[in-house]
Amino acid sequence: MQVDTRCLRNDSISANSNSMSNQINHKELCQWLTAIATQRDKEAFTHLFHFFAPKIQRIAKSKGNTDTQANEVVQETLGNVWRKAHLFDGNKGAVTTWVYTIMRNVTFDMLRKVKSNKEDTLSEYIWPIAEAGHIQESDFTDHLANKRLRAVIEKLPENQQQVIKAYYFMEMSHDQLTVHLNLPLGTIKSRLRLAISKLKAQLGESNDQTSS
Amino acid sequence: MIKHHPKFELLQSFVNGELPASLSAGIAIHADMCSGCQEKISELTEQLSYASFEEAYLDNPMVEEAGTLHNADDVNFDQVIAAITESNDIDVVEPKIEKNITFKDEVYSLPSVLNNMVLGKTANIGKISRARIQLDENEIHSSLLHIEPGGSVPEHTHNGFELTVLIAGTYSDEAGEYEAGDFIMLDKQHQHHPISEQGCLCFTVANDSLHFTQGINKLLNPIGAFIY
Repeated sequence: MQVDTRCLRNDSISANSNSMSNQINHKELCQWLTAIATQRDKEAFTHLFHFFAPKIQRIAKSKGNTDTQANEVVQETLGNVWRKAHLFDGNKGAVTTWVYTIMRNVTFDMLRKVKSNKEDTLSEYIWPIAEAGHIQESDFTDHLANKRLRAVIEKLPENQQQVIKAYYFMEMSHDQLTVHLNLPLGTIKSRLRLAISKLKAQLGESNDQTSS
Repeated sequence: MIKHHPKFELLQSFVNGELPASLSAGIAIHADMCSGCQEKISELTEQLSYASFEEAYLDNPMVEEAGTLHNADDVNFDQVIAAITESNDIDVVEPKIEKNITFKDEVYSLPSVLNNMVLGKTANIGKISRARIQLDENEIHSSLLHIEPGGSVPEHTHNGFELTVLIAGTYSDEAGEYEAGDFIMLDKQHQHHPISEQGCLCFTVANDSLHFTQGINKLLNPIGAFIY
């Protein structure tokens, strides 16, 4: 089952953290988040919300925020979780770590707004999301092949790059793509087909064995 | 090889989001070039996240109360959930943009953390050029500092702290040679005279002016606040 492989690492985090009365079920958190990413599952989001909201509220208050500010941190952080769920990779780290980085960024930008009256949301530049909590990333990636693939993709026309990157690198579904790019499904599919045939021609069919 | 790294405490505050934007950017620039610190940051993030969401609550007598957290009067969780899930929009990560910056006809690629920051006009004194980064952090000033080949900053101490992250090129002072990626944090106790034979570009953060210490250069003290 696909959901299980996505959460393997989170499962092992649960198994390894033997500390005292540690009750956090990392695998369950990861499955909820995966359900949000792949099915926009509101029930899963509700579970996740009830798990994190009181904790985030408490942390925010312990850092000297008012009740209103603390609630803002809760809403902003979990709003981000809903909108960014597809960017989470369960094989790179725990859901708790990922949510922590989002909470940290939200808090940082809010504080900057209060102190310097700046709304420049610098957090995403200081802590780029792609790098958030990436540990042991290099285990299964073939850097050379990746580099070559990326170089070839960069040569595609802009509109084909867009669908290829969104579909394969960010794992967006056809439906998400139609909504996001505001294009009919047919156009998305034909752009993908076109881009893939160009990639095949560039890289040679021999590279295709893994995906067939 | 990079020899100068942020102290552990500084990395910890960085991960926790407690540092001002200027110092956070300095650490981000360094970590971008230093895989060792990158790894430490990942580990610290993991540890701090566990500490935040797990251990902090276990021995806390308030835990009982947490279960009955004021969902009712403070904020209605169901309403918040409904408001968030109303929209099906998702965030897309924008591809990294490579920006360049030019000082005296030398083109440098700008560290990506600075992409979104506003740069002031470049000011020049001799072989030194400086562009302020407009972060509006009161007494803390951040700049890009360029030294042309053969240029130097007169011997000085610092009235506050002075952070230099070397982006490109090399420079040296009494304490040794520095190269791209080095993270050099100095304070009042340090007196130095940086020289760059081949030229360099630095990201600098200081919370007060420089204090020039020698002979005729003392006359420069009014402009000490200008350079950094």
